[in-house]
Amino acid sequence: MRTKISLFDICNNIFLLMIALVCTYPFLYIFFLSISDGRSIASGDVAFFPKNVNFEAYQYILTNSRLGIFRGLLNSGIYTVVGTVVALLLTYMTAYVLSRRQIKGRFLIMSLFVFSWVFEAGIIPAYIVLNKLGFVDNWLVMIIPNAINVQFLIITKTFLDGLPVELEEAAKIDGANDFQIMSRVFLAISKPILATIGVFYAVFIWNQYLMPLIYLQNPNLQTIQVMLKKLVISSGDSNTAFRTIIQNGIMLNPGNLKAAAIFVAMVPIVLVYPFVQKYFKKGILLGSVK
Amino acid sequence: MEKVITSERMTPLPQKTRIRRFLDYMNTNKLLLLMLLPGLISLVLFKLAPLGGMIIAFQDFSAFRGVLGSPFVGLEHFQRIFEDPYIWTLVKNTIILAFYSLLFTFPIPILFALLLNEVRVRWIKGSVQSLSFLPYFISSAVMVSILYTLLSPSTGLVNDILARFGLDTIYFMAEPGWFRSNYVLLQVWQTFGYSAIVYIAAMAAIDPSVYESASLDGASRFQQMLHITLPSLKPTIAIMLIISVGNIFTVDLDRILLMYNQSVYETADVIQTYVYRLAFASTGFPEYSYGTAVNLLKSVVAYILVVGTNKLSTKYSDTRLF
Repeated sequence: MRTKISLFDICNNIFLLMIALVCTYPFLYIFFLSISDGRSIASGDVAFFPKNVNFEAYQYILTNSRLGIFRGLLNSGIYTVVGTVVALLLTYMTAYVLSRRQIKGRFLIMSLFVFSWVFEAGIIPAYIVLNKLGFVDNWLVMIIPNAINVQFLIITKTFLDGLPVELEEAAKIDGANDFQIMSRVFLAISKPILATIGVFYAVFIWNQYLMPLIYLQNPNLQTIQVMLKKLVISSGDSNTAFRTIIQNGIMLNPGNLKAAAIFVAMVPIVLVYPFVQKYFKKGILLGSVK
Repeated sequence: MEKVITSERMTPLPQKTRIRRFLDYMNTNKLLLLMLLPGLISLVLFKLAPLGGMIIAFQDFSAFRGVLGSPFVGLEHFQRIFEDPYIWTLVKNTIILAFYSLLFTFPIPILFALLLNEVRVRWIKGSVQSLSFLPYFISSAVMVSILYTLLSPSTGLVNDILARFGLDTIYFMAEPGWFRSNYVLLQVWQTFGYSAIVYIAAMAAIDPSVYESASLDGASRFQQMLHITLPSLKPTIAIMLIISVGNIFTVDLDRILLMYNQSVYETADVIQTYVYRLAFASTGFPEYSYGTAVNLLKSVVAYILVVGTNKLSTKYSDTRLF
């Protein structure tokens, strides 16, 4: 075994820790901006640690309904929770049936799914179809059309294909019907895979930008990601959405408020990340060995 | 594929039993088939119907008349594509952007994985790896907003530092020359840790006794990396490279839509963003048919590339893309 600690080891460890820091520092910096006061930001003092820590910026952006940030967060939250449940249900049920050998034509159905994934129709034909079906300005557009992700369908089906047929046969002898076999016998074994694709579905829905941008014109339905584009990116340096204000004796400038808006848009992911990162890792590996 | 059981006799089965057998099959599996229904509806409505909708590339589509009622115009839109000089700018931009991305996003994860593999301290290895793929799960909107904040000409950290060194302010987001660098920077930042996972997993599969016998033979750490680790990664690297080449027309549409503005179109405008603007952000009448025609050509080329490279990757290994 190699136990000697060399100069290379020390340099390498330091270098990698630096890389990790550089990659995550921008997130920290945004957080520092959001909890400092306007005066310190203007004088450029918050590069490495926050100054005059306060949470007024968050209070301002969440209570000011004119901005619609709270509304956007709420919408995104609802879409993510409902969308993930629906997506898991549909993906799992479809994968389960397509993994049963007694079903005829399952290979054809799977091939059609795969073809539609590799050959992209593009956003315009999709819009024409969804428009006809009444999905424009309808919050269900965030839930239903993308409920089956072909990649996750393949992963789930491959997993179910690998389970012994005897499980099904034994349950059949015990008098269980197909639905009971799926929901009682197979669901229990599939929990790890469902957790994995579940976190991916949740992240995808939360992070969606193009779908809400195209389909949701009604500002009351809009997601936090599109709000962010409106408030932070489109306004550029000439600020219309945020102005310098004094709140509870604290001076807040557009820099504070923008940073707070950016941070609330990523906070759910950062909060759950420590708990679900092992699933992320697993999901990436599953996805890569298709 | 299912094994098709053919009867020994070559005479066709009587009609009656065939219907009977079909009804039996339906009856035995009625619950399973019912459970398949939502998935089938979803396949037809959201995956196949848009493919059928591509027919409007050959029509003069009007939303008022619908897909079935719009008149056919043959290849008119495709002719227009080949006469439009701007299309070549788009194709050039798409390929250059994807190529630059590949140039940086391909080797960096491999280097990172190799260095991480040399780390002997468990907590450093674990925490560095976990932090490295965090950016992958942050949305494009947040990432681009952060980039804007850092690069802002008046309040951004980067221009602040430049000013302290007495350098001029750079308008990163408004100069076409900076767009590709910014895009690739975000791409590397978001994907290097994520891509490295595959290589790290491949390294974990290497038998440790190989390293032990090598070090007994006096091979240095660097030599071990060169002669054991890298050769073991060869198949993985080959597949990854092939997949990346197959995706040469794939750009991150969300990110470009968020990053670009009119002043950087000459480097930032790609096929997908142009199609988006034709349909959803044009000042005049939305050009559904022309946009679909442009996208159809792109999809055909992309499809051939993906399927072709997938065939190649099966040569290298047993793991296939699909």
